[in-house]
Amino acid sequence: MVNDPTSQAIVTFDDVHLTYDGAREVLRGCDFTLRHGDFRFLTGPSGAGKTSLLKLIYAAHRQSSGRVEVFGHDLAEMPTADMPKLRRRIGVVFQEFRLLDHLTAFENVALPMRVLGISPNSYRDDVVELLSWVGLAHRIDAPPTVLSGGEKQRVALARALVSKPDLILADEPTGNVDPVMGEKIMRLLLELNRLGTAVIVATHDLGLVRGLKQPILRLKDGKTNLHAPIPDEAAKEPAE
Amino acid sequence: MSADAEPLAEVRSGKTAIIPENGVSGASLALVIGVLAFLAGIALTGFFAVDAAVSNWSGELTGSVTVQVRGMTAEEIASGADDAEAILLDTEGLSEIRRVPRSEAEELLEPWIGEGNLPQDLPLPVLITADVSPELRADLSGLRTALSDKVEGASLNDHSAWTDQLIASARRIRALTFFAFVLVVLAASSVIVFAARAGLAAHRNIVEVLHLVGATDGFIARQIGNRYLTLGLVGGAGGALVAWLSTKSLAMVTRDAGGFLPAFSIDAKTALWLVVIPLLLGGLSTISARIAVLRALRGKDAYVA
Ligand SMILES: Nc1ncnc2c1ncn2[C@@H]1O[C@H](COP(=O)(O)OP(=O)(O)OP(=O)(O)O)[C@@H](O)[C@H]1O
Ligand SMILES: [Mg+2]
Repeated sequence: MVNDPTSQAIVTFDDVHLTYDGAREVLRGCDFTLRHGDFRFLTGPSGAGKTSLLKLIYAAHRQSSGRVEVFGHDLAEMPTADMPKLRRRIGVVFQEFRLLDHLTAFENVALPMRVLGISPNSYRDDVVELLSWVGLAHRIDAPPTVLSGGEKQRVALARALVSKPDLILADEPTGNVDPVMGEKIMRLLLELNRLGTAVIVATHDLGLVRGLKQPILRLKDGKTNLHAPIPDEAAKEPAE
Repeated sequence: MSADAEPLAEVRSGKTAIIPENGVSGASLALVIGVLAFLAGIALTGFFAVDAAVSNWSGELTGSVTVQVRGMTAEEIASGADDAEAILLDTEGLSEIRRVPRSEAEELLEPWIGEGNLPQDLPLPVLITADVSPELRADLSGLRTALSDKVEGASLNDHSAWTDQLIASARRIRALTFFAFVLVVLAASSVIVFAARAGLAAHRNIVEVLHLVGATDGFIARQIGNRYLTLGLVGGAGGALVAWLSTKSLAMVTRDAGGFLPAFSIDAKTALWLVVIPLLLGGLSTISARIAVLRALRGKDAYVA
């Protein structure tokens, strides 16, 4: 397993629990492994803890107990100074976008590159191409404050992809876009996955999940269960 | 990603500061830095002015000695003065040996006893002045014993008691002005630390996003710190310039007053030292802001949300 890159674990959850301060327990023993080249839908009703689970992966929050390993590092034991390096390998599409309002669409997408200290000449074309691809060529110099929800979502997606991360975590990446754009975005994520990027897409849009033939990590009662892809013809969620 | 192949759109944006300006890093802060730079400039000018005065005094006032010959009778005084003068002429390192004539001595006494009130037969002590070479100035004890051993009523006055005191207190003032300079610079640095912390708190959400896209604390500290470089340079230059102009005009006033007041001024070459102020404030501002940000962020990076 160690020597075969295609089977390397990228994310491992081992009996992970999560309780927010004073609140009820959100995650109650999650166990799963995401390997190199895996694609997973993370589903579950609103409030199930999908966003919380993703936060544990990109080290924005610490689990209450259990073990979270990302790229082979136990996050609980990882020195603070190494966190930036880890996060640079993960592209996150935040559910609430988290764009910077004082920057333009272009600058928001370019942010991870600026953080890496890369010169603008080396990323300008990539950023413009990404924005064009998500249909925002005409909004390149617009700040998020004047963009629609769907437009912001597409900027957030472009920012997550710009640095060609090894792992993409997309939290409801199609929640605010029309079905055609939604379909397009999912096709892109599948394509990137085919090229070797591990992907987790959190969504409760089962219409999206259906037909893409990818395994489902279902979050229910604070636990994760892996399900086979929903076949095209199935009309319901997988049985529990 | 070649699906929609169309010519690349043109970008006009791209250089916006990652962490935006806010109230505490704008004009009001530049003014505070300017005022502190002005005070630093005044303190530094004071330092150099006093420093120049000290070396002037050390040179001028200690360059001469006076021998006073007293006695009961005019004859006694006259022969003592001749002996003393002979000793002075024999001593290496003395020049411009001059006996102060009685008329001059009388003039010196006039302010106390009035013109013409001095009886002509009153024996006045004789004063002999001479310029001293620095080598001899360093050790006058030989000359002093020679005079007191061989000439009755002769005493050597090298003015050192007075000048030593003057120089000692000038040195204290000089130390004080330097201390004031250091304090003002430290005050500027604390103001920047406050501002940088406030800026960081005002932009928490941005800092969070930066962490999430993989920014190091050092990167964030640089974004905030670099802004204060310009601020320190500009504010520092403005304040130092005003300080220079005001000491210059003060120097003009003191010169008009007939050189009675010691000139609180420095020459053009020394004024170049004022350039240190903007450079110091620029560098110090950047470093203080960076350290403040790094300390505020320390240990918070791992779990930002
Ligand atoms: N920072 C927080 N502090 C306290 N409670 C929180 C916090 N974040 C989330 N929660 C709670 O944890 C639970 C799971 O939230 P989470 O956002 O992970 O759900 P989700 O599955 O992403 O929901 P949705 O589909 O609506 O996005 C919710 O009950 C929520 O109220
Ligand atoms: Mg969520």
